[in-house]
Amino acid sequence: MTVFLVFVALVALICLNVPIAVSLAIAAVFGLILTEGTGSLVTVALDMYDGSTKFSLIAIPMFVLAGAIMNAGGITDRLINFIGAIMGFIRGGLAMVNIGVSLFFAEISGSAVADVAAIGSIMIPQMKRRGYSAPFSAAVTSSSASLAIIIPPSIPMIIYAVSANTSVEQLFVAGLVPGLLGAAGLMGVAYAFAVRYDLPVEKAFNFKEVRRTFVEALPAFALPVIILGGIFGGFVTATEAAGLAVLAAVLIGAWYREVDFKRLKTAMLDGGKQTAVVMLLVAASVLMGGFLTRAQLPQELAQQLLSLTDNKYLILLILNVFFLVIGFFLHSVAAIILVIPIVVPLIEQVGIDPVHFGLIVTLNLAIGQQTPPVASVLITSCSIAKANIWDVSKINIYFVGVLLMVLLLCTYVPVVPMFLVELFYR
Amino acid sequence: MLERISKVLETLLEWILISLMIVLTIIVIVAVVYRKLDASLSWYDEVASITLAWVTYYGGALAALKRKHIGFDTLLLSIPMPLRMVATAVAEAFVLGFFLLLAWAGWEVLLVLEGDSLVSLTWVPVQLTQSVIPIGAALFIICDLLSFPSYWRMVARGVSLEHAEIEAEIEAEMKRR
Repeated sequence: MTVFLVFVALVALICLNVPIAVSLAIAAVFGLILTEGTGSLVTVALDMYDGSTKFSLIAIPMFVLAGAIMNAGGITDRLINFIGAIMGFIRGGLAMVNIGVSLFFAEISGSAVADVAAIGSIMIPQMKRRGYSAPFSAAVTSSSASLAIIIPPSIPMIIYAVSANTSVEQLFVAGLVPGLLGAAGLMGVAYAFAVRYDLPVEKAFNFKEVRRTFVEALPAFALPVIILGGIFGGFVTATEAAGLAVLAAVLIGAWYREVDFKRLKTAMLDGGKQTAVVMLLVAASVLMGGFLTRAQLPQELAQQLLSLTDNKYLILLILNVFFLVIGFFLHSVAAIILVIPIVVPLIEQVGIDPVHFGLIVTLNLAIGQQTPPVASVLITSCSIAKANIWDVSKINIYFVGVLLMVLLLCTYVPVVPMFLVELFYR
Repeated sequence: MLERISKVLETLLEWILISLMIVLTIIVIVAVVYRKLDASLSWYDEVASITLAWVTYYGGALAALKRKHIGFDTLLLSIPMPLRMVATAVAEAFVLGFFLLLAWAGWEVLLVLEGDSLVSLTWVPVQLTQSVIPIGAALFIICDLLSFPSYWRMVARGVSLEHAEIEAEIEAEMKRR
């Protein structure tokens, strides 16, 4: 009964637009009062402090900062030129470029809106000028930006790893193959549209042009090289890789004279604020976690579900549907923080690998970013393209279909995401 | 007057946050270098974690001043007037109530921690590191109150905070080009 009341309080507060972090904390305090009276309220301060000192989460401000510094320079433009040189000869080339750039870029700065705004404000006007329809341009931008959640560095993945107490490095590695598969799928759909609507080829393939733009775009590859190289090679942890990424971003920015004091200041501020928003959620979840553990809710829930079925694949299906629905209403980070602590005992009992499950969850929530009412990435793309959200969704449905197929593939053929993890870590 | 106080507080919090981010970045980078040289720093984990907590609460107050904390306003904005404003006031009271509780609890904890020091750096009192909770909570309350009038007007006009943020982000991006 207490758990039910706490749940009702939580939902009611969220519906009143109390920040989700604060809603979680208030609901947890409410539960604490119901079960233990007002005598132990002092522990609220201890939990809220402990929750904000989680060491592995230091990777978040570092990645956000590296992304913000890179963003401040002209790296986006140079990356677009390079990918344009490689893929511009394909029919619908600008759509391909858009997808390619998103893979490198999106979700880097921790704010999906800021990243989509950065890429979309360059790509969408270009696409419209070249005869692509506004809804198609928005759909390509939106779906590819969301796919990037599963490609390292990914803030939702870091949060998942901490919530589920698993390895963030392994999760990063697990995201690689599905990310590339998804990108190939999105490009396939874009190509089909391009052929059907006779969208233009940008320019003939020219090796000299590729080489020139590659040299210019070199700094943009520093981040993935440091992160993937360092982590794959086992030289550094995710947090250390993040720290080195900041160092690299500053040095590269200084070399190209693109990062001055003012931009660095803005990057620090953006990074700090994004981090604080996420960390307050984490801290509140520790408070709630304490209450849930005492109430034995995760174990209870696991038992209830297991009494219905202990079929691993059926449970994965149920959880997938559940996360898809949650994704309609919550931002990915908030959804992970709210739900993961509750379902972890269940997936452990059924014998699902927490790294595998982490990939499923993040991919699932990427799809959630494409579905209103809470769909910041989609809304941002529509807003830049000046296109109606329903017109965009009618086209986007094909791209979301690709993401759904990748989700099903990763869920039921675990070797797809886990192959590299097995190879490098087990 | 309110706007001027808000501006001063914003600048102050911004500089605190920037300083904390610089400290955190330097700590992480120095620690990687030391570890690679086989001379791991004993205080690294503890000090970095504390800095993260400070980023959380000083940055959290700044985010409250800008109403940047993640929320869900679709339902609230669909409530008919004047009930919507009643709901807004109730929600605000809950937020303030929680941070008042946190400030009080944080203060009580500080009193208990008298005389304790960090494990790795024994000259740093825990009272200093944990002071972030009552101070952060108090700052959050002030920031929340300062940003309330503009939030109130937005809710009354039925403007979504998220949409406003998206517009601002796109505008900033367009201006940069």
